[in-house]
Amino acid sequence: MNRKYFAILSALILIAFAGCQPTIEDFPVSNGNADFTRYVALGNSLTAGYADGALYKSAQANSYPAILARQFAKVGGGAFVQPVVDNEIGLFGNKRILGYATDCKGVTSLSPVLAEGTPVGLPGALAPVGYPVQNLGVPGAKAAHLIFPGYGNPAGLLTQPPSANPYFVRFASSATTSVLADAMAQNPTFFSLWIGNNDVLGYALAGGENNVGESITSMDVFNFAYNTLVETLTSGGAKGVVANIPDITSIPFFNTVPAMGLVLTEEQAAQLNGAYAQVENYIRTVVGIPNFSYGISFKAGVNPFVVEDRNFPYPLPKAFRVRQAKPGELILLTVPQDSLKCAGMGTFSLEKQRPYGIPQNFVLDEEEVQNIKTAVANMNATIKNLADQKGLAFVDVATLLESAKTGLVYDGITFSTTFVTGGIFSLDGVHMNQRGAAIVANAFIEAINKKYGASIPKADITAYPGIVFP
Amino acid sequence: MRKSLFNLLLLMLASTSLMAGGYQVRLQGARQTGMGLTGTALKSGASDIFYNPGSLSFLGKKFELNLGGNAIISKISFRDLESDYTAKTDNPVSPPFFVYGAGKITDKLVMGLGVYTPYGSKTVWPDDWKGRYLIQNIGLRAYYLQPTLSYQLSDKFGIGAGFVYMYGKADIQKALPYNDATANLSGSATAMGFNLGLFFKATDKINLGINYRSKIDVELTEGDATFDIPTSISTILPTNNKFSASLPMPANLDFGVSIQATDKLLLSLELNWVMWGVYDTLTFTFKEKGELLNSKNPRLYSDSFIPRLGIEYNASQKLTLRAGAYYDKTPTNKDYFNPETVSLNTMAFTFGFTYKPTDNLKVDFSFAQLFGQEMERAYTPANFSGKYKSSASIPGLGITYSF
Repeated sequence: MNRKYFAILSALILIAFAGCQPTIEDFPVSNGNADFTRYVALGNSLTAGYADGALYKSAQANSYPAILARQFAKVGGGAFVQPVVDNEIGLFGNKRILGYATDCKGVTSLSPVLAEGTPVGLPGALAPVGYPVQNLGVPGAKAAHLIFPGYGNPAGLLTQPPSANPYFVRFASSATTSVLADAMAQNPTFFSLWIGNNDVLGYALAGGENNVGESITSMDVFNFAYNTLVETLTSGGAKGVVANIPDITSIPFFNTVPAMGLVLTEEQAAQLNGAYAQVENYIRTVVGIPNFSYGISFKAGVNPFVVEDRNFPYPLPKAFRVRQAKPGELILLTVPQDSLKCAGMGTFSLEKQRPYGIPQNFVLDEEEVQNIKTAVANMNATIKNLADQKGLAFVDVATLLESAKTGLVYDGITFSTTFVTGGIFSLDGVHMNQRGAAIVANAFIEAINKKYGASIPKADITAYPGIVFP
Repeated sequence: MRKSLFNLLLLMLASTSLMAGGYQVRLQGARQTGMGLTGTALKSGASDIFYNPGSLSFLGKKFELNLGGNAIISKISFRDLESDYTAKTDNPVSPPFFVYGAGKITDKLVMGLGVYTPYGSKTVWPDDWKGRYLIQNIGLRAYYLQPTLSYQLSDKFGIGAGFVYMYGKADIQKALPYNDATANLSGSATAMGFNLGLFFKATDKINLGINYRSKIDVELTEGDATFDIPTSISTILPTNNKFSASLPMPANLDFGVSIQATDKLLLSLELNWVMWGVYDTLTFTFKEKGELLNSKNPRLYSDSFIPRLGIEYNASQKLTLRAGAYYDKTPTNKDYFNPETVSLNTMAFTFGFTYKPTDNLKVDFSFAQLFGQEMERAYTPANFSGKYKSSASIPGLGITYSF
């Protein structure tokens, strides 16, 4: 062989191979037997994209329905419009970011702090967006709110109690419409429905976004509302996906401050025992309740906090009606940390020389926890039954978050339900952060793929931001 | 010819790493590379220092100097298992090289020295890629220095032994889930091993060879660990830390047979037993905050057996042509496949030639094309899975001067 030709041949082979990127067959996308042309999302704050205590621009842009719609677009999904909040502080403010806070003891530590900046505020926050939206998530909404005509009526904001919701006022097509009616007006081919969380948590999340209603929704009302929602949404032949309600113990708002979180030295325990003995003695001798005892004793190490007792058996002033927290009782994230650290809340007020129980509005006691668990179980049964009856995809968010308690790993990142560092929840301890929203969106996709024989690509969780560290 | 070679060099510069069979790189001689990377039962002169110190004693000349190198242009494609997400590496050209010198002390005793790079890999994934919390970039390189003695026991039988002194270094970057935080690990180590070979001229036409290269554990100690992290995290994690880790360079046991089929045609058959089974766990131990940072990362490699075939044709006095092929089954475990070492079942084809302008000088060219087959792999501890496919194009040059 001629050397020259050999060299040319060599060069050609090199060029032919060296330039080539190995190709892997494409992911086989398919919509299965569902049609994503017109997708509408119904739900509460979780659906709206609420995070860090506010509905703000970037979190809304990456709400789980927005992420879903982005993935649906790969299998024939159409446009998905949200009622855009063009402000990073949010509609009404109160947004939290991770910063530094100095506590009553002068210790500065990493902590959620109020974000600086100006929210949209009133009246702009109530101005109608002026276009139909496909994300009909309304922060604060319970199941029955979604079928309630007038929930978007501005006049309803002024009644006592309010009969309208400012978030729906922004995008309601009329003063008399309902969230459901606005969804149906778009003739949806596919819907997602994640509602019910507020029906249970509304009264427990004092100080949260929900200030309407104080009790757990009755099952009659919930069943009627949920049934109406599913019947109506499927009436035009649309397919859809529904999700259930997570257990409160998997939400940082309820699992961050442990009821058994009082850590004492031997000396501190002795001091507290002495203080309580004095109070008991005072009640026995001065108030005149013979044999009175709190039945409280402190020991070195981990102790339960002292909490206000609403079933206290003796007619004493409120401040004296206390007991130790029981295992399984929950203390809310909003409990005043400075009072806990420096004023004796949860133990004994040195200043006032009397017991200082954690106030009831920061505690979910045994009975309340049980009420919530029962209600969640009942509502979840309704959701699952209706999903099965109507042949809808079903997302078991409760089980997902339950397994997240011990850690869920995606793409090398370990997620958990721990506040801040767990990586799923935002700084309000109730709503997901954007990365958490992607995890939820993928759970929705998994359920839809399974139910409808679809092959919708999952979202890249790592592409969505988690909590921003300073 | 010269111009073509110049073009080839330009191409090498323009492009990228090879990782067939873990992170082993068996490109230690241009002749052997051209013949499917066989060499245990060949008499190749100075490059026998690596391939079989036993045959080095059959050095034809009084002295031989052989040097060369390769440009590994490697590409890896990834596609997520459950989505349309894809990524591809942007690996720089990896340049393994070799230098051998060998000379006759007596008619039967040959002494030689080799410097070569039998292990290495360089993988660069995009900064925002989905697997960045497993691996972002990794560079491994091991330099071996091997003084060797080879002795002809008889006309038919040669034995040789080399002492190996190794310098290895590693650079690893991965992302941490705090904003855009990264962990950067780099360290180096030295270690020792050996290389033993037997060579046997069974008949006039058939040669046999056995070569054993010992396992070398590269123990990185006092490596630099720098963490590029938000200030709020730096109160928990020190930004400058030290780490230690151990990476095995596995033992190889090679069996070869060469057959002079005709006057002009030589066949070379070989089986390499690469004892990857020793690579069980990659352990990182940190000097500070070990309780947070230390990790044991399962790799669970298995031994691999690589069959190889090579042919050589003496076209003329001045020109020798070569070709070869081999199949390298991945030593990785399907559930513990970390994209730091994308080693797939690989089919490879090679060719090469030697041009001999004068009696003392040889110029070798080799080219190997590796096809890493598409495989579905997972790294289960990270819940990361996808399909991988790779290719590598490896042009190589060598020059031999002897007298």
